[in-house]
Amino acid sequence: MSLALLLALPFVGSVAAALLPTNARNTAATWTTAVALACVVQFGLMFPEVRDGGVLRQSFHWVPDMGLEFSIRMDGFAWMFAMLISGIGTLVAVYARYYMSPADPVPRFFSLFLAFMGAMQGIVLSGNLIQLVFFWELTSLFSFLLIGYWHHRSDARRGARMALVVTGTGGLCLFAGVLLLGRIVGSYDLDAVLGAREVIHSHPLYPPMLVLVLLGALTKSAQFPFQFWLPRAMAAPTPVSAYLHSATMVKAGVFLLARLWPVLAQSELWFWVVTGAGALSLLLAAYAAMFQNDLKRLLAYSTISHLGLITLLLGLNSELAAVAAVFHIMNHATFKASLFMAAGVIDHETGTRDIRRLDGLYKVMPITGTLALVASAAMAGVPLLNGFLSKEMFFSETVYLSSYPWVELALPLIATLAGIFAVVYALRFSFDIFFGPLSTDLPREPHEPARWMRVPIELLVLACLVVGVAPAWSVGAFLDAAALPVVGGTLPEFSLAVWHGFNAPFAMSLVAMAGGIAGYLLLAPLLESGRLRRVPIMDRFDGRRLFDRSLVALGALSRGGVRVAGTRRLQMQLLWVVVACLVAAFAALQGHGVGWGDRPRVPASLEFVLLWSIGIACAIGAAVQAKFHRLAALMMMAVAGLVVCLTFAWFSAPDLALTQLAVEVVTTVLFLLGLRWLPKRIPEAVRHPTLRDRARRGRDLAIALAAGGGLAALSYAMLTRLAPQSISPFFLSHALPEGGGTNVVNVMLVDFRSLDTLGEITVLGAVALAVYALLRRFRPPRESVEAPRQQRVLPADLKTDLVNPRTAPDTALGYLVVPAVLSRLILPIAGLVAVHLFMRGHNQPGGGFVAGLVVAIALIAQYMVAGTLWVEQRMNPHPVRWIAAGLALAVLTGLGALAWGYPFLTTHTAHVALPLVGEVHVPSAILFDIGVFAAVIGATLLILIALAHQSIRATRKPATAEAGGG
Amino acid sequence: MKTELNAILPEIAVLVSACVILIADLFVPQAKRHVSFWLTQFALLATIWIVVATAQVAPVRAFSGMVVDDMLSDVLKLFALVAVSLMLFYSRAYLMARGLFRGEMFVLTLFALLGMMVMMSAGSFLTVYLGLELMSLSLYALVAMQRDSSAPSEAAMKYFVLGALASGMLLYGVSMIYGATGSVDLDRVAEATLGGQGNRTLLAFGLVFVVSGIAFKLGVVPYHMWVPDVYHGAPTAVTLLIGTAPKLAAFAFTLRVLAGALKGLEFDWQGMLVVLALLSMVLGNLVAIAQSNIKRMLAYSTIANMGFMLMGFLAADLNGYSAALFYTVAYVLTSLASFGVVLLLSREGFEADLIEDFRGLNRRSPWWAFIMLLVMFSLAGVPPTLGFYAKFAVLEAAVNQGFVWLAVVAVLTSVVGAFYYLRIVKLMYFDDPVDDSPIVARGDARALLSANGIALLVLGILPQYLMGLCTLAVTQSYF
Repeated sequence: MSLALLLALPFVGSVAAALLPTNARNTAATWTTAVALACVVQFGLMFPEVRDGGVLRQSFHWVPDMGLEFSIRMDGFAWMFAMLISGIGTLVAVYARYYMSPADPVPRFFSLFLAFMGAMQGIVLSGNLIQLVFFWELTSLFSFLLIGYWHHRSDARRGARMALVVTGTGGLCLFAGVLLLGRIVGSYDLDAVLGAREVIHSHPLYPPMLVLVLLGALTKSAQFPFQFWLPRAMAAPTPVSAYLHSATMVKAGVFLLARLWPVLAQSELWFWVVTGAGALSLLLAAYAAMFQNDLKRLLAYSTISHLGLITLLLGLNSELAAVAAVFHIMNHATFKASLFMAAGVIDHETGTRDIRRLDGLYKVMPITGTLALVASAAMAGVPLLNGFLSKEMFFSETVYLSSYPWVELALPLIATLAGIFAVVYALRFSFDIFFGPLSTDLPREPHEPARWMRVPIELLVLACLVVGVAPAWSVGAFLDAAALPVVGGTLPEFSLAVWHGFNAPFAMSLVAMAGGIAGYLLLAPLLESGRLRRVPIMDRFDGRRLFDRSLVALGALSRGGVRVAGTRRLQMQLLWVVVACLVAAFAALQGHGVGWGDRPRVPASLEFVLLWSIGIACAIGAAVQAKFHRLAALMMMAVAGLVVCLTFAWFSAPDLALTQLAVEVVTTVLFLLGLRWLPKRIPEAVRHPTLRDRARRGRDLAIALAAGGGLAALSYAMLTRLAPQSISPFFLSHALPEGGGTNVVNVMLVDFRSLDTLGEITVLGAVALAVYALLRRFRPPRESVEAPRQQRVLPADLKTDLVNPRTAPDTALGYLVVPAVLSRLILPIAGLVAVHLFMRGHNQPGGGFVAGLVVAIALIAQYMVAGTLWVEQRMNPHPVRWIAAGLALAVLTGLGALAWGYPFLTTHTAHVALPLVGEVHVPSAILFDIGVFAAVIGATLLILIALAHQSIRATRKPATAEAGGG
Repeated sequence: MKTELNAILPEIAVLVSACVILIADLFVPQAKRHVSFWLTQFALLATIWIVVATAQVAPVRAFSGMVVDDMLSDVLKLFALVAVSLMLFYSRAYLMARGLFRGEMFVLTLFALLGMMVMMSAGSFLTVYLGLELMSLSLYALVAMQRDSSAPSEAAMKYFVLGALASGMLLYGVSMIYGATGSVDLDRVAEATLGGQGNRTLLAFGLVFVVSGIAFKLGVVPYHMWVPDVYHGAPTAVTLLIGTAPKLAAFAFTLRVLAGALKGLEFDWQGMLVVLALLSMVLGNLVAIAQSNIKRMLAYSTIANMGFMLMGFLAADLNGYSAALFYTVAYVLTSLASFGVVLLLSREGFEADLIEDFRGLNRRSPWWAFIMLLVMFSLAGVPPTLGFYAKFAVLEAAVNQGFVWLAVVAVLTSVVGAFYYLRIVKLMYFDDPVDDSPIVARGDARALLSANGIALLVLGILPQYLMGLCTLAVTQSYF
């Protein structure tokens, strides 16, 4: 079977298992076991090919655009891991069949289990590092789902989240490290990386890369200071713990360390970080394990401790130590998986995992008891068991290490201490629960588990024994094959004998044994009494505090971020935008410099300066009053607008001035109508502005000055330069000959760019309709419905000669009579002016647009002074018809050109001789201009009338108001 | 003329269908509003077909260079069309329950889409601006559609005020670039800037304002203020729209303007983008942690993600642009699914927009919990989801161009980001549900949302096709 198929097999199996019906417990378990067993057999058959440093490879195109190949690569080391994963997987699958309750949807469990197995195999068989990261994170995902699938306990929540956060972040760090490593080597291919030792070590990015990779590995393997997540993950079901948290997933970290050992190790940084983390984990976790009362938590701490041992060995930069590490990986997986399963059996059969409550179980479950005793002896490093061998190798490495004197002294000491602790907790796990009087208050009646539930444990314990008694015969060849790639080519001299003579390591073992037994005798009564609530001393060094504190710190930082950048106030948001632009603009100025242009300046005259002083003063006044006194602000804005109009006129742009004037008037009227719904004046806050208020205002003033000044300076710099090229000469020279008019602006509007104008008046019409549609159903708030203040100052019963024109029986009565009459007189005159402006528009300032605005202003003036009802009783302006007629005329004029075979909107200038007047040239554009005129009147009126109608509706009773409409 | 019209055929199709639906909807009684819905879906499908059918190998420049029809625009348009179509499917029940299932919704959405499509094939600053404004104005109106509550109005108001300011700055910048180079045509501006013509001061100023405008549309710090408020305040359906397709348009905008027209100022804008990317990733991820509303959280996540995307962009080479495009597409797909789940959980009178509302989702529905898990993993950049490759491609592009420290910071901020994404996963899987009401949704929305979620997984396992498409699109247009 090819490697790719073998890698895909668990995933295929996973999908198949997911498709099984929920009650198919036996089928799912059998299927899972079969798949795992098939993997074991197939991997087993491949051993001859990898035994002497051979490497099996297979690769496919994956993401060719990024130069990524999906490559599978198996050497001896990967082979060993693959065997562990599938082998222990097989056993756990069998075990889980009996552990799981029939009530659970078991096929889903097995589906996730197989997927997890596939992900683990993906890690160890990855031929490139990105692929490794990919499967690495995949294990996080599936482990999370496995735990999440089957949690009954509330303490699982915290633990699972912690596990996910710690390993997830570690995975991202690893990802960053791998990216850097890929950058250093120039490839993510494992073979390329493994062959680039010198390049990597001499690269300046080596330290950050190493730290990131190590963060990934140490978090996954729960090494100091990240060890805290593992014991809390023990709320997971036991088969999951046995598989994920002892044999496979947590081993991924040490797998990575060993995988990259040939290229990353042999540096000072590696030694200090890896050895340090390993030694601290070894010692502290073993210490903490002694005090645990929960069987699984004890095993979890012991797992951390043993992984620390492996990490420590890998950190020593010695080839022999690396071999010992590989050996211990194998041994630890064997005995720890069996111990977890034994713990699960005890939990399953007695209903509790509390060591204090469990006693004398040997009497009721002798076979399980024997198995657990042997396995825990292996864990403690008792001779003739596999744990002893690798532990001896470890002891000898610490003794014969050459480093700083204090390190040479400290390491054997740590090793011995950890050995003592290991014996203590092994005794607690075995002796404490199996001997003594049988407990009587157990939740269930204990008995031996189902036959097949015990078989996996039996097999594993048998392996412990066989390896322990005849190591060279049983695992020698496998160890050689597995260790060869780790040390990078040549194996150091070592012997796998049980007896090496009475030497320092053996002495250390003896001390550990003796010390451990003594320690147990001292500690056991203390723990049984239950007075020891937490682990002495160590409790303070728990990384959980660090984790919690960093979460709290992160939360505080986040809230700080919200304060700085999360404001919901529009004012502050605008401030940010403006300041950001200011900063960016000033930054852009750096290194470039800006100067004024050399265009000839127009000399300033006193009148013009005065005019602008008024304008500027009014603009500032408007800004100051905008918040407090809207009417005043509006008036001052109008003056500023007037100054702009005058400026246009000053610089010989009468057309522009005229248009601007009309637009100013219309917008002012719009504002006035809108102001009705806002309070006229907001009284300034009663309290005296504090220093803080003043500072804020000062800041805003400074920003406003800087932004405004900057823009003004930029405009000045632009205006004092000659534009590189301009289209105005073209229009100036072509307006008369081709457009038949001397007013260039008007010719542009109705002829050269008449398509634009057509679009604009269409938009104008649409906007007017939209405003109308929006205001049609507008209901003003109740408080704004009351009469204006001027009408409220007089008591209702007071006789007065002032009559509200709305209620006046005759037009000649009521206040505001004079302006009303004046405005009525203006109406026909305005019409005349409009015609005048329109007619001369093509050659002199004027045109349809201005004329339309003038008419609209005259009409709306009637509304303003006489009231809506009065006006509409006497006439109906029909604004929508104006819009429709205007647009139709403009389009028809354009289409007319088509009828004569010219492009759309082509103008034809006819010359007509009229009696009395003489020859008049009538361009067809005049019709178009009439269209513009009509559309402008209609649109402006529609908007203004829609606003004006609000005043009627507000005075209506709420019940009838619903029927009201424009 | 025929090829020119061909180049804008998709836009014409959307415009015509928007107008047709606008009129047709007037004659449809409220009870039969689904007629308009299906008309819109049909229009989108037809436009997809047109985009595919008129796709050409060589780029076409039409209307004196105002419009460019190339692979890039086609790819982006396809994804935008799909995103809009999915958005309408996902939000159907939501809109119905809130009285928003109206013709205006479809028409405004189509107009917004039209604006995006114009931006995607813009060949001149004017076309860019035209599309941008059409899109923005439609979106402002969509945000304010729900007139009976104050939050959408406030959001629309802020969106409009800030958006208008940003548009003004953009125009200001464009006018300066025009002043310096004498053209608004992107290709001509590119020639001028590459040839070293034009006043450098003026160009630098113009660039500052143009980048500000771009940054606003992308929603990156410090121009991010509108994002959380609008995401939070708008009806979720509109949030879904704003959070997805416009990002593609904004990407097109960024690519066409910075990598195209202002290529000659690469060094200048790279520096600015570094600052924007850095600030966005740090602040976006950090502030997201403190949020209790998932829409607001996803808003900050958008800010962070767009910062991340910019990091790929500022590598300014083929890999960088392709990676940024890939990232944007991946983000849009993920975003669709994330808001899709929020919409799915909502019902009449219940928005499901609090993070707390996701408690115990696994108990209520393992399938939707799984889909949301995929979404969160994709956002966090955890394999085997699509987000992983997006992050990988961007990081690699940045690292290869020597932005090593920026990349390391980016990964560290992703770690912070992973924290709040995983918090949702934890809530779904380990907490007890607060309400046990069954999740009801239409069959089509269920099927599509499931497909969307699974796509995150499948594309995550087989990213090469999408990656190839992105590389091809960028290569054809810019290399």
